[in-house]
Amino acid sequence: MWLRYNRGMSKSSSSRKKSPKSRSGNQKSGFWRFMFRAGALGLVLLAGWMVYLDAVVTSRFEGRRFEVPSRVYARPLELYDGASVSAGSLVRELELSGYRPGDGVRAGTYQRNGGRFVISTRGFLFPDGEEARRRLSLVVSGDRVSSFSVLAGPSAAIVRLEPARIGGIYPAHREDRVLVQLEEVPELLPQGLMAVEDRRFYDHFGVAPLSIARAMLANIKAGGIVQGGSTLTQQLVKNFFLSREQTLVRKGNEALMSILLELHYDKDDILETYLNEVYLGQAGTRSIHGFGLASQFYFGESLKDLAPHQLALLIGMVKGPSYYNPRRHPERATSRRNLVLDEMAEAGLLAEPELAKQKSRPLGVSAKPSFTENRYPAYIDLVHRHLARDYQQEDLQSEGLRIFTTLDPAVQHASETAVSKTLPKLANADELEAALVVTAKDTGEVLALVGGKDPQFAGFNRAVDAHRPMGSLIKPFVYLTALEQPDRYTLITPVKDQAFTLEFDDGRLWQPKNFDKEERGEVPLHLALSKSYNLPAVRVGLDIGIPNVQQTLRDFGVTTPISDYPSMLLGSVSLAPVDVAQLYQGLATGGFNTPLRTIREVTDADNEPLSRYNLKVDQVADPAAVHLVQYAMQETMQEGTGRSAYYTLPDQLTLAGKTGTTDDGRDAWFAGFSGDLLAVAWVGRDDNGPTVLTGASGALPVWSSMMSQIPQHGFSPVMPDGVQYHWVDAEAQALTGEGCANARLVPFITGSEPVMSTDCNGNIGRQIRSWFEGLFQ
Amino acid sequence: MIKVTSIRFAPLALALALAGCASGPGGGSIYVPMGGGEPSRAPEPPRTAEPEQNSEREPEPRVWRKSEEPAVSEPEQPSRTPSYRESGDALPAAAVTLIRDADQRLQQGDSAGAISSLERAQRIAPRSAEVYFKLAEAYVAGDNLGAAEQFTLKGLSLAGNNSSLQRSGWLLLADIRRARGNVAGASQAEDRARAL
Repeated sequence: MWLRYNRGMSKSSSSRKKSPKSRSGNQKSGFWRFMFRAGALGLVLLAGWMVYLDAVVTSRFEGRRFEVPSRVYARPLELYDGASVSAGSLVRELELSGYRPGDGVRAGTYQRNGGRFVISTRGFLFPDGEEARRRLSLVVSGDRVSSFSVLAGPSAAIVRLEPARIGGIYPAHREDRVLVQLEEVPELLPQGLMAVEDRRFYDHFGVAPLSIARAMLANIKAGGIVQGGSTLTQQLVKNFFLSREQTLVRKGNEALMSILLELHYDKDDILETYLNEVYLGQAGTRSIHGFGLASQFYFGESLKDLAPHQLALLIGMVKGPSYYNPRRHPERATSRRNLVLDEMAEAGLLAEPELAKQKSRPLGVSAKPSFTENRYPAYIDLVHRHLARDYQQEDLQSEGLRIFTTLDPAVQHASETAVSKTLPKLANADELEAALVVTAKDTGEVLALVGGKDPQFAGFNRAVDAHRPMGSLIKPFVYLTALEQPDRYTLITPVKDQAFTLEFDDGRLWQPKNFDKEERGEVPLHLALSKSYNLPAVRVGLDIGIPNVQQTLRDFGVTTPISDYPSMLLGSVSLAPVDVAQLYQGLATGGFNTPLRTIREVTDADNEPLSRYNLKVDQVADPAAVHLVQYAMQETMQEGTGRSAYYTLPDQLTLAGKTGTTDDGRDAWFAGFSGDLLAVAWVGRDDNGPTVLTGASGALPVWSSMMSQIPQHGFSPVMPDGVQYHWVDAEAQALTGEGCANARLVPFITGSEPVMSTDCNGNIGRQIRSWFEGLFQ
Repeated sequence: MIKVTSIRFAPLALALALAGCASGPGGGSIYVPMGGGEPSRAPEPPRTAEPEQNSEREPEPRVWRKSEEPAVSEPEQPSRTPSYRESGDALPAAAVTLIRDADQRLQQGDSAGAISSLERAQRIAPRSAEVYFKLAEAYVAGDNLGAAEQFTLKGLSLAGNNSSLQRSGWLLLADIRRARGNVAGASQAEDRARAL
């Protein structure tokens, strides 16, 4: 653009060079000739300038008129009979979605009476269809929804609330807006705006000398400035194309460009653009543009739901969004609003009784903006990374995409609380950091993510970027690999818990030890896992072969290179918490890998679907073998290294999990799951220094604290095909009676159960069952 | 019925109640509201140097015989036992509504829409075999047989001892495998269905 401008300038200087040559004629004609030439030159310059301005106006107006940031939404809360939600988190959820306590009749309000709620939804256009406006009635008791019914609106057994907006992906200039169309805004808005700012908008050609005079008159009459002299077109041009400096040249440009704009486009087009462009406030670095977003920002309501006095306030704020900021200067804002209401009445837009009523209303501004930016920095960071696989950054910043994530605000809240409340109680808390990942066990949806001890701080995202040795978290995969060979390993196979030395080819020695430095001789495999003994894990791992364990890890989702040194059997493999969550997903779902997702769908601004990220399952292990590992991981919680979880959790909540600790307590891990949730907690130091913590004393308290805040189902896996439970006496390696000493009900892959039987007195009998069976054959 | 393996000194009533709660083969998942039960012991502050493994030797698990079950014993010893059950969850009404919606969309040839509804149903009822079989059907309609086979397998893993669910799952699997050209796998699945 500026090239054209410069070319114009150089043309003028070259014509000036020519002019001295022609100074030979008489003085008078020379003067006129000069004047003529100067005038012609001026016209050429002006024409050139107009061409330039015209190009500026049309290119900006024709092309992408607005860069609209992408909107990121939390998952919508589904309400139905039996839905799992506590009254407290329902209220939090409603507030996040911009609901206000009220009569429950007006859209966007709810009424609560103990556990009884009446909620008036606003409706929402989801990618798979419209959720209509409804008035709902329901009761929350025992953390469950009951007596769900639709009081008004289309009947439905299940209804989605509008999803909370949890972030945006902004253009570099940080302008935020919600685009509105002229036909969808309340008529009072454009009419009121014209009454105050530009009464002859539909009659003038871009500038209106008469309006300026009228404005001056009105201002004198009102004893203050109520009207500006610029037309709406001029204001738009000023905001759209020009800098804020107040010079005559700029005023001239403004007028010229306004005329040009009017020549090219019709009035409605200009008005609609104005409604979306006008600057109406600031939230941190994010600027609030247009009436659509301003309505949400100041009232938490959609523009079409605003009352006349609310529209009047927004119209009044055009004059000075910060001076008339209703949150900071409510008195100023009120008197400005009332002036606008008077203007509306004078223009015949409001009848007298209505005017008085509207003027008497309080401002009705929400206490804080319903959407606080960057509330969940770690989560949004992961969303960004997932989006970057399929989208260009510039499209995300400007195309107004709608991104529907899987974030569950209740679980996120519980996770943040768990980290920030638990960490300070640990020893040397100052140097500790933490990460927590929570997913929905059967869908792989990432529900919550905490990337550090200050969850609001957008810094190093440990949940995604801290790659740490996984320690004993690897053991379930070692034993799974073994249990997939039922002819060699069962849960009661005795494994040696004795020290040994490995000598490598280069002469180096490796002597693994148990955490407690003890040796127990022989232990059944299930106990070796639930107590997390190191020596049996290494022995079993070496016996079945490191390549087989590596293959299991790869099948379950490890994509990074895995060491083939025996120390990998004690977890020298480094993973980020989110990778561990992916790995454990397969264990939790009985051998079905479920890719972790943060995004369900992306649509464009018109709700056309761009991408769907569907649920996927992929069977990667024998469900029967996984079931046996789940048994030992449940035992971990009941009798093993994870049992301190029940200091804070109710007994009924059956769980499965695994602790992990690396050398000198550098990493404390806990990974585990209930029926509904899978969570991975990590605690350690950023400098990788030693701590006095273990998985059980460092990470498990964070994990348990999160779990204790969420109502959920216990873990109780469905017994898969090819598994049978038997009462066995592990010491005797024999089947036994249910009531006998040492009897334990243990799952076996069919055919791998012991052949021998023992009675309660320890008398081993071979094939007792067969003998009985023989009797009846 | 009750899977109690290593209860030590626990009263029968408690054992029954907890085991009944915690496992209960054939029942649905056990829902535990927040603070849904008293913690078994008074909460302790997190300890800083708890060894990951028991430093003290575990006492041999002592199991009492049924005839010797004490009527009352120390309540501070909780009884917990690995839980399992023999069938998946029944479908809640809301999920049934969504599945009907998916059926309608399938009839209109909108398999993507059907999958969308079924994924909503799956989030509500993630442990019901039916939802996964329906997803498999929608993927068959959408001509994605690979995904269809995986969802059928997932459904089968939740069918438990419900033989009619098992049968529909194996027959569905047989159809899908045959359509994928896996004749051996198809007849294997058919054999499984026939054996029920």
